[in-house]
Amino acid sequence: LTPAGDYSALVRRLFAAPAHAGSLAPGPVPVRAAEAIALDRGAWLQITARLQAGQVVEARFLAWGCPHFLAACELVAAGLEGRPLARAAAVDPRALARQLEAPPEKLGRLLVIEDALRELAAAAAAPQ
Amino acid sequence: MSAAVYLDYAASWPVHPGVAAAMADCLAPDGPHANPSSAHAAGRRAAAAIEAARAAVAALVGAQPASIVFTSGATESDNLAVLGAARAGRPRGRHLVASRIEHRAVVDACRQLEREGFELSWLHPGPAGRIEPWQVEEVLRPDTLLVSVMHGNNETGVLNDVAAIGAACCARGVLLHVDAAQSVGKLPLDVTAWQADLVAFTAHKLGGPKGIGALYMRPQPRPAIHPLQFGGGQERGYRPGTLATHQIVGFGVACDLAGADLEAEAARVRGLRERLWQGLQAAGGVWRNGAAEPSLPGILNVGFAGIEGESLRLALEDVVLASSGSACSSASAEPSHVLKALGLSDLGCQASLRLSLGRWTTTAEVDSVAAAIVAAVVRLRGIAPAAAPERIR
Repeated sequence: LTPAGDYSALVRRLFAAPAHAGSLAPGPVPVRAAEAIALDRGAWLQITARLQAGQVVEARFLAWGCPHFLAACELVAAGLEGRPLARAAAVDPRALARQLEAPPEKLGRLLVIEDALRELAAAAAAPQ
Repeated sequence: MSAAVYLDYAASWPVHPGVAAAMADCLAPDGPHANPSSAHAAGRRAAAAIEAARAAVAALVGAQPASIVFTSGATESDNLAVLGAARAGRPRGRHLVASRIEHRAVVDACRQLEREGFELSWLHPGPAGRIEPWQVEEVLRPDTLLVSVMHGNNETGVLNDVAAIGAACCARGVLLHVDAAQSVGKLPLDVTAWQADLVAFTAHKLGGPKGIGALYMRPQPRPAIHPLQFGGGQERGYRPGTLATHQIVGFGVACDLAGADLEAEAARVRGLRERLWQGLQAAGGVWRNGAAEPSLPGILNVGFAGIEGESLRLALEDVVLASSGSACSSASAEPSHVLKALGLSDLGCQASLRLSLGRWTTTAEVDSVAAAIVAAVVRLRGIAPAAAPERIR
């Protein structure tokens, strides 16, 4: 199976144990959901966030994609928690790629994360 | 699991210890180190070792020793057969027939011939992954020179009825080339019953060393072939160059060892393959690429709905050494041309694994691999959108 050694320790760790994988059920604190899908680029992300006064109190993701993409989803979901959604959603795919040491051809699928977060921010801004 | 299980026998076998020992004897100071073309005693000793190996290869495939030409492997054999026969036959016609599921050694040789002005009819398999004899008959023309159809497919393991294809070719005076790299040493072969003119083999897919193979050339009538190399006249001029005695001896011993328990071993490996297939059912959403039978005993090509191939490969890297649904030759992410020919989507190709079993595969290994693959598939589906198994297949 190939390629075996082309992943950073960070990617391997996040891929093996993505603590924020899953989805949030509706509850007393509102949950917003967003999705971005680009199967031709090898990426599909569904993200849910529990918001309170503009702050993300909890975030989860479901994703289909390569190890770099799954690791990036985990990083982003973890990074959302405890921060104002408007600020946390402004993710830079290039910075993610650098942090994960992803090869250049993976950038296209990391852009899908940016799309999902934009949709999440829009959903949060929309009236209930 | 302490070490990854090797289930990539279709790519290459571990060298059989008996083969390694025979090759080491050959390379020892008192071994047959002389040039086998030399007329002196040491040369004759090396030549005798080569002829014994030639006889072993021939016996395994139902041929006469004189019909075996040693090459560097199946790729060279395929190239020599396809390029050599087409170029030699150019005055009689320019039409060739090959299947879309051939190994790159044939496909790329045919593409080269297209650049040289030959016309190719490409045959597409059905969902079973097989080329049917009627498909060949349908495209044969008065100016057809050569048909090239593999025996056992290297990715799906599906067998083609090359005897029926051979009968059709023979009746029309068309040469038949068969790539039998995967089936030699796995199934009883009789190249004369196939009525094949040219058959390619390699040593490293039956426990022999890499770097040595053979081309069977029908002795009567012998097909006209233009060599690809020149100088020396060895192998009756079809493949000149000093013969690699130790490689050839290793090939011969591998053939002897494979022939000793061929049918029993084929049944054992086939049983393990089906056990693996049954074990994988626990994952659900599993499909088999190509028909289950008739097939090579050791190849199982499976796809997993809703799974991304690269993630599956990483999840399994400590579990099993196998090949993905990407191109078999490399780390390329290009979907397999064979699986594409079967009608799979790009995503379905990426979600597929080729698991190939062989001489040293055990029941315990099969069971542990099946359980580990099921666990990995379940885990990856668990973090994927719920609709992934419907969309990704």
